Amino acid sequence: MKPRLGFFDFTGCEGCQLTVLNLEHAFLELLDLVELVEFRELLSERGGPLDIACIEGSIGRTEEIERLREIRVRSKVLVALGACADSGGINALAAFRDPGDLNREVYGRDQPSRRILPPRPLSAYVAVDYRIPGCPIDGREFLSVLQALLVGRPPELPSYSLCVECKLAELPCTFERGIVCLGPVTRAGCDAFCLRGGDRCRGCRGLIDNPRSGPYYRILTENGLSEAEILREFRTFNVPGQEGQ
Amino acid sequence: MKIEIRHLSRIEGHAHLVIDQAQGKLRSCRLEIAETPRFFESLLKGRHFSDVAPIMARICGVCSNAHTLVSLAATEQAFGITISTQTLQLRRLLACGEILQSHILHLYFLAIPDYLGVSSILPLAKTHRDLVTRALRLKQLANSICQAVGGRSVHPVTPCVGGFFVLPQASTLQALRRQLVAALPDLEETVDLFGGLPIPDFDRETEYLCLRPEEGYPLFGDILASSDGVSAKVADYARTIEEYLVPHSTAKFARLSRDSYMVGPLARVKNSFEKLSPMARRVAAAIQLDPATVNPFCNLAARLVEVIHCVEQAIHLIDAVLLPGLRTETLQVTPRAGTGAAAIEAPRGTLFHSYGYDAAGCIESADCIIPTAQNLGNLEADLKAMIPTLLHLPQDQLTLRLEMLVRAYDPCLSCATHLLTVKFV
Amino acid sequence: MDRALAVAEEGSFVATWRGISRAEVEGMVRALAAAFEVAGVQEQRGRLTLDLLDDPADLILEFPPHVHSPKKFLFPNGEKLFRFRLGGRVLLEPEKAAVPRVIFGIHPCDLHAIRVLDDCLFEGEADSAYQSKRGATILVGVDCLPDEHCFCTSMGTDRVASGFDLFLHRMEGGYLMQTGSPRGEALLARHAPLVAARSSEPPLPLQVKQCQTTLPVPVEALAPLLGGVYDHPIWQETGERCLGCGACTLLCPSCYCFSVHDRLDLNLEGGERLRTWDSCQFDQFTKVAGGGAFRADQADRQRHRIFRKFKYLWEKHQRTACVGCGRCRRECLAGIGPTGLLKSLFAERVLPEPRVIPGAEYQPQLAEIVSVTRLTATEKFFRLRLPQPVTFAPGTFMEVSVFGLGEAPLTLASAAGVKGHLELVVRAAGNLTKALHRLRPGDTVGIRGPFGSGFPVEEMSGRDILLVAGGMGLIVLRSLLLTILGRRRDFGRVVLLYGARNVASLLFRDDLLAWHRSGLLDCRFAVHETGGDWPLPRGDVSQLLRDLDLAPQRTVAAVSGPPSMYRSTTPLLLRLGIAEDRIFLNLERHMKCGLGKCGKCQINDICVCQCGPIFPYSRVKHLREAIER
Repeated sequence: MKPRLGFFDFTGCEGCQLTVLNLEHAFLELLDLVELVEFRELLSERGGPLDIACIEGSIGRTEEIERLREIRVRSKVLVALGACADSGGINALAAFRDPGDLNREVYGRDQPSRRILPPRPLSAYVAVDYRIPGCPIDGREFLSVLQALLVGRPPELPSYSLCVECKLAELPCTFERGIVCLGPVTRAGCDAFCLRGGDRCRGCRGLIDNPRSGPYYRILTENGLSEAEILREFRTFNVPGQEGQ
Repeated sequence: MKIEIRHLSRIEGHAHLVIDQAQGKLRSCRLEIAETPRFFESLLKGRHFSDVAPIMARICGVCSNAHTLVSLAATEQAFGITISTQTLQLRRLLACGEILQSHILHLYFLAIPDYLGVSSILPLAKTHRDLVTRALRLKQLANSICQAVGGRSVHPVTPCVGGFFVLPQASTLQALRRQLVAALPDLEETVDLFGGLPIPDFDRETEYLCLRPEEGYPLFGDILASSDGVSAKVADYARTIEEYLVPHSTAKFARLSRDSYMVGPLARVKNSFEKLSPMARRVAAAIQLDPATVNPFCNLAARLVEVIHCVEQAIHLIDAVLLPGLRTETLQVTPRAGTGAAAIEAPRGTLFHSYGYDAAGCIESADCIIPTAQNLGNLEADLKAMIPTLLHLPQDQLTLRLEMLVRAYDPCLSCATHLLTVKFV
Repeated sequence: MDRALAVAEEGSFVATWRGISRAEVEGMVRALAAAFEVAGVQEQRGRLTLDLLDDPADLILEFPPHVHSPKKFLFPNGEKLFRFRLGGRVLLEPEKAAVPRVIFGIHPCDLHAIRVLDDCLFEGEADSAYQSKRGATILVGVDCLPDEHCFCTSMGTDRVASGFDLFLHRMEGGYLMQTGSPRGEALLARHAPLVAARSSEPPLPLQVKQCQTTLPVPVEALAPLLGGVYDHPIWQETGERCLGCGACTLLCPSCYCFSVHDRLDLNLEGGERLRTWDSCQFDQFTKVAGGGAFRADQADRQRHRIFRKFKYLWEKHQRTACVGCGRCRRECLAGIGPTGLLKSLFAERVLPEPRVIPGAEYQPQLAEIVSVTRLTATEKFFRLRLPQPVTFAPGTFMEVSVFGLGEAPLTLASAAGVKGHLELVVRAAGNLTKALHRLRPGDTVGIRGPFGSGFPVEEMSGRDILLVAGGMGLIVLRSLLLTILGRRRDFGRVVLLYGARNVASLLFRDDLLAWHRSGLLDCRFAVHETGGDWPLPRGDVSQLLRDLDLAPQRTVAAVSGPPSMYRSTTPLLLRLGIAEDRIFLNLERHMKCGLGKCGKCQINDICVCQCGPIFPYSRVKHLREAIER
């Protein structure tokens, strides 16, 4: 019997699931290898045991915690799909603000209080077996992780930093133009996508396992960044407790 | 009897539809938006202008290009930057690519299962292989446009304040043009397929809003105009669109001249029918879509017409960019204190961003109104008007029809700003 | 092309020189494109890159060394090694043959780097994936425009005499095309017949390149010098600056370490095995199953990188593995580069500039004799004061000069570490040593070094130590013993077996006995001639090995004595159960130059002054000259 695969999403933009759909013909081939049993954006069916659950989005409300735990219970393998699920993602920006203040700012003083929790990655509430980082995920990496799971090999993410892929792509270092880049401490695997696009790395794939925070901190301060600015750089895609410094 | 549809499928984002009816009478009907608010406007505070568009794109994966483009335009407005014709044309091309991408996804993946009596496109991979491979080909074409111009179909990277970090290769654009021309047979079959679908009868006239550019079909523009005669500068959108609280809802609604209005494909086609490309107009005529259409289900037909329009438009834009040759531009961005507002026709309707910047180019204030928020009041009014006419139907048919109406708006609940629990009573 | 063949061709080939214009170069590229893939440096999206050429007009022949080296074509990252199919049975599908390719515009430094790749990848069983690409690739060299990071002039890689097929030298109004191989000659005849028919011009006078960046010491001296700075604090400082990104090794034209992965097809029915560039700077590079990593931090990794470039590969192939292209420094965000590192390490040495003073590496420094003590009838103990402190390991040696008489290698008798003083034991045997015996405190001698590699003290720590000395062999072991006693708690039992001719010839007898009595050391003696003031058992040191109560798996043995002693003791040590790689032998030979050049200390193919004089038995057991005679 083909392994049963499900996709789920919590607080996020659904860009990672869309990236999976955008695999187009590869996605169709994928359907020969697995049975896609849940994908709310695509299917009406739901429920039942799963071999692999791919979950997008961070967790920000108690209802979400309950739904996440329910999925965990019926899934053999749980994969965090994308930055929000893996490290809090862009939602992590809210982790440093008081939810009540944010509520008042956006929705006005007269709004009833809402049960909103600081955004957290999936691993804050359930055991996460594997993860596919990035905002959005890289479709090829998704396929290789899924392939590894299907052939029974633990998926591996690159343990080196983005600088490797940037150098291999023969790109000039953004620091040469005085632009701060999170590449030296960010996990590779996106093929230096943003740098190829002329931008800098904002760290959406999260930190490498062993970031050289000391040397990196020195380089940032040499580039004139204050402590607060360094923290702000790290917090774009990562929840507190994860930054190197 | 209570009907509850939890986590409505085949829409972007989470919503539950809850209906309470007894003896053929509707007692209550509410669409609960089950999305966690993400406070994007507040989170932007203090961020440097170069980070604003990348952050705002993350509001929504499906409309990330529209959010990026309107965010850049608002920032450029604030800094007094005029972009080059080449930049404008490439941005239009990117916007066309995204409308195509979103519309094809909606037509083939989200909508068609309802009309073919299946739960999703997946079973069609066996029974209607042609249809599925055609859907993938067209979606891939749309994604190729986004990738060529924006670098990636979800969350683009190359567009930046003032222009583009990296321009597409001329050879890529030439290849894209060939693919667009080669897609015509697929488009014809798409028109045959969707033109022949039995669209449910349900007419309810409302106010229709979209941008009114100086020339052409609405995409970017400085003026917004409605079918009721509202005409205002985009810069004044916050004064023109009245956000208001209703007693039965905890979320803000939006109105112009009436209690609700519609944005999106149908509104654009109705208001700018004569601006559609020749081929798109012929298709509209063939499927009997015209400016008099007031059936919200016809959003589906309007998307089909816009698909044709966008393909034709994309070919013209590529020609317009390639004819003088692609030029690398030096971007001069000098931030200044000030405010800027801009609007774009996103796949689902008019999208507004406005920012206030300090002298260093960091955000002091931000606001954003998304199409789905504007449509919610109208969707509520449609549901209220339609449900009483359907209460005689068996429950499964009733819920299917309600889901189809919600899907006709292609609501994008991932765009969480201004959206909380919307309760209809 | 086979390497042996290439070497043979180089040997007999006589270069020819012809003028060629830019337009003719483009015409040649166009002609070549029919039979080859042509790669060259060009501008893409505002950056220089070495890539396949679409239009010969795009070819750039004058450029600074800012592009990736030809390694990207000869040893590509992500190279497919073979395809396989799954499903019941594994079926291998070999990769197709390499594409014939011409690479236009390779700087001399990169041509040198290709030789380093050849050295390493053809060594032993040749790497056939590299071999096929290398053989199918025509190399066209071109002069370079050095920038502030280049230091090829210090590395001797600023020009190249062979190792290319064609070379374009810039000259007024065009280029002078030099042929470097019969293949290059044939290529010219076929694809640029008009140029080939032109009469040969004389070679260009060699242009002197100016590099702002230089090495502080001659490149030849680096290998032995580095041996003495293994524990230098600079590595720790560098490690604290290094981001571990690996850019230095990825961009290095001669780095080739790799990893191998399987990539599966989407349908999971097959896949391919790929090799991807790896880096000694990466976390997982030295990780082994079970989680250990034997170069755990960036300090170790940076030292390894520098040692490998300037010491290990130099010692193996006598060719510098760093070619001075400056890419690693140019691209390092933390500003770490070899010249900076070497300058910090050796700045204190007032060594002359390379090549400015020929023979500089042979020139000794002056050391003053502080004290002279007679040890036995034939041996004297010397204490020298050095001009600057020197770091050395036990087992290494110095070249000691008495001007007018010459120079001789002498092993050090003092404890290891950074020292301002040295201790030597000299037996008056030849002219030079007899002259040394005549010197008195206050006199000066010349010294060079230290040279060679000594006992791996770190590897020995935590273990029981068995020292086996015969006669003068004790001198080296005294250095080791003093080093051990200096940190006695780091070692288990220490046993010394010492054999000598007679009681009177025992060196440092009183010291040894004092340590024995205080329990620091278990000392046992044997003499060939009994008698004298001290009764000792008569016989060979190997007798002492017979009733030894050591735990062999915990024991490291260090053996130093005359060659005959190794023949008798090594089998006994092995029989005791001590592993071959834990038996260290002092194989001193006449290490005349200390620089791996003179050939006097060679044992078969091994150069003692570079690889020794201290060797693990496992390394030398197959060498017929080491122990057997």
